[in-house]
Amino acid sequence: MAFIEIKNVFKTYAEIAGISTLALNGVTLNIEKGDFAAIAGPSGSGKTTLLNIIGALDKPTTGQIYYEGADITNISINRLADFRLHQIGFVFQAYNLINVLTALENVEYIMLLQNRPCEERTRRATELLARVGLADFMHRRPSQMSGGQQQRVAVARAIAARPKVVLADEPTANLDSKTAGELLDLMKELNKEKGVTFLFSTHDKMVMDKADKIFHVKDGSIIN
Amino acid sequence: MKTFAKIAWRNITRNKSRSLITISAIAIGLGALIFVRAFVDGADIQMIQNYTDLISGQLQIHADGFQKKMGLERNIPDPAKIASELSATPGIIASSKKIKNYVLVSSTEQSSGVLLIGIDPQKERAVTTLHKHIRKGEFLSEGKDDQIILGKDLLEILNVGIGDKVVIMAQGADGSLASGAYRVCGALDTGAEEIDKGMAIITLAAAGKLFVLEDRVSEFTIRAGDVYKLDDISRRLKDKFNGRNFEILTWKDISPILAQTIEFDKVFFDLLLAIFVLVVSIGILNTILMSVLERTREFGIMLALGTKGKQIVLMVALESIFLGFIGTVFGLILGIISALYLGWHGIDLSIFGKVFEGWYIGSIVYPRLFFRNMLLSSSIVLIISTIAALYPAWKAASLKPVDAIRHFN
Ligand SMILES: Nc1ncnc2c1ncn2[C@@H]1O[C@H](COP(=O)(O)OP(=O)(O)OP(=O)(O)O)[C@@H](O)[C@H]1O
Ligand SMILES: [Mg+2]
Repeated sequence: MAFIEIKNVFKTYAEIAGISTLALNGVTLNIEKGDFAAIAGPSGSGKTTLLNIIGALDKPTTGQIYYEGADITNISINRLADFRLHQIGFVFQAYNLINVLTALENVEYIMLLQNRPCEERTRRATELLARVGLADFMHRRPSQMSGGQQQRVAVARAIAARPKVVLADEPTANLDSKTAGELLDLMKELNKEKGVTFLFSTHDKMVMDKADKIFHVKDGSIIN
Repeated sequence: MKTFAKIAWRNITRNKSRSLITISAIAIGLGALIFVRAFVDGADIQMIQNYTDLISGQLQIHADGFQKKMGLERNIPDPAKIASELSATPGIIASSKKIKNYVLVSSTEQSSGVLLIGIDPQKERAVTTLHKHIRKGEFLSEGKDDQIILGKDLLEILNVGIGDKVVIMAQGADGSLASGAYRVCGALDTGAEEIDKGMAIITLAAAGKLFVLEDRVSEFTIRAGDVYKLDDISRRLKDKFNGRNFEILTWKDISPILAQTIEFDKVFFDLLLAIFVLVVSIGILNTILMSVLERTREFGIMLALGTKGKQIVLMVALESIFLGFIGTVFGLILGIISALYLGWHGIDLSIFGKVFEGWYIGSIVYPRLFFRNMLLSSSIVLIISTIAALYPAWKAASLKPVDAIRHFN
């Protein structure tokens, strides 16, 4: 039994004017615990669609997603929020953070949703922000930080929730290549250090090269 | 909860100018509402006070049916006993006896049908302000039973002056033809046409003699303090005089027109309130909706992370409630200060001419604040700021994270 198993997933977007898009065309893949894996492919190939489905943000048209053997495709919308909260960490392309909260409060926020005690929230958020190199930026709001720093906060937040997997949809797309490389290195360090499973998408060759495992997607299919 | 409140609060301060505009709109609206209500209440109270002070009193006791059909046969026997019962009733400040009937008053040139009132010159001073409305001459004196006061317009109609003689003709209680000659001692000027044109006043003793009523009277006129406590006192009196064939009237029964005017003021105010509610709701709805739409992506991310719909609703509702609350505080301050300041100094309406005097308001209105009205207006603002947030809150909570995250502003 794989850690996360994606089995024969199809996704069709019912489109405007009767034309529907087949975004995923029978995707099957396995993620193992501790993976540092990339989904790579050109624009429009279905990366975001696939990550959304793995992240329980969207449902496949047909096919199943298993987390440690449990099918999540039948979980009701209400309970999906809880599932995401406890099992999945998210890092999006950019503007990940709650604008009116500081870096520290953003990291604490996810643990607040999890009803963690206040003392633990502050301690863990402070620790993680220091770990991602933002010890001096804890009390800054997103608008007072660079794009790379904001992405580091997002990574710290994703890990703070102690999820099974961190899903990152093009986390470096808005960063210059040096900053992008640093973010990936940081993610990889956390992967090794803390055993956090990462799955991220990219169309950037340099980013792909940092992954331990690559799933190439083209026109909605895995072509490895 | 604390974090959601923090997020809501910071979103208000994030867009300061928009929040300030909304808060000012609420504050000015509520302040104006409280002030207008205080003004209307002040004017209403003055209207009631001046009307009842003038001649009618705040409460009246008659024999049953007198209000419908005035007549000497509908009279109150043994008034001394009733006077002592009244003075023992809490809430009653003073009372006076009156005899009332329609008569014909004639000078050598003209005659006119008028309402003749017999009063006790001393006791009446404690109940009404008739004695303050004597323009020429003087008020009746105790024991001078040949004196008569006529309305100032009536003097002109009859073409008589102070010191002239008039004759009154009427029917006595025993059916006999009654008549008496009186000397005009004063002119009554109340500003109310029906009184100045159609009223004559003599002493109670003279009226008793004229109508052959012995010691019976037509009316007890009662002065009580606060107009808002009259219903209580009238209930108390009704209990006390139960089964004795008396009618107990408040100013509302005495002057249905006045009661209607005041009722109309209330309807007018309710209409104003409804417009205010509508405007404030739209204002708040607009502000919150804009604030929510601007943050579509942020809500999408919150939802993706696992924030519950009801937590999003709470956040948006709190934002609206905060705006409503701050607006309410400033609105209350604005309304209270303006109403208290002008309640102290009065608002001079004389620039509008004498229109208001005819309505017994007087030329200066003193706004009156009532706690329950402030409470009502402010709770309405808080309620609508909650309700107005529901639609935007629901919209934010029902966003699909996948679509919302795609949304870049
Ligand atoms: N909500 C939607 N409604 C209709 N079609 C959609 C929707 N989202 C994606 N698509 C279509 O599905 C296909 C896959 O899109 P997807 O966003 O998954 O690609 P991607 O690999 O993430 O691309 P990019 O690198 O540009 O982000 C595309 O053809 C796209 O037009
Ligand atoms: Mg994409």
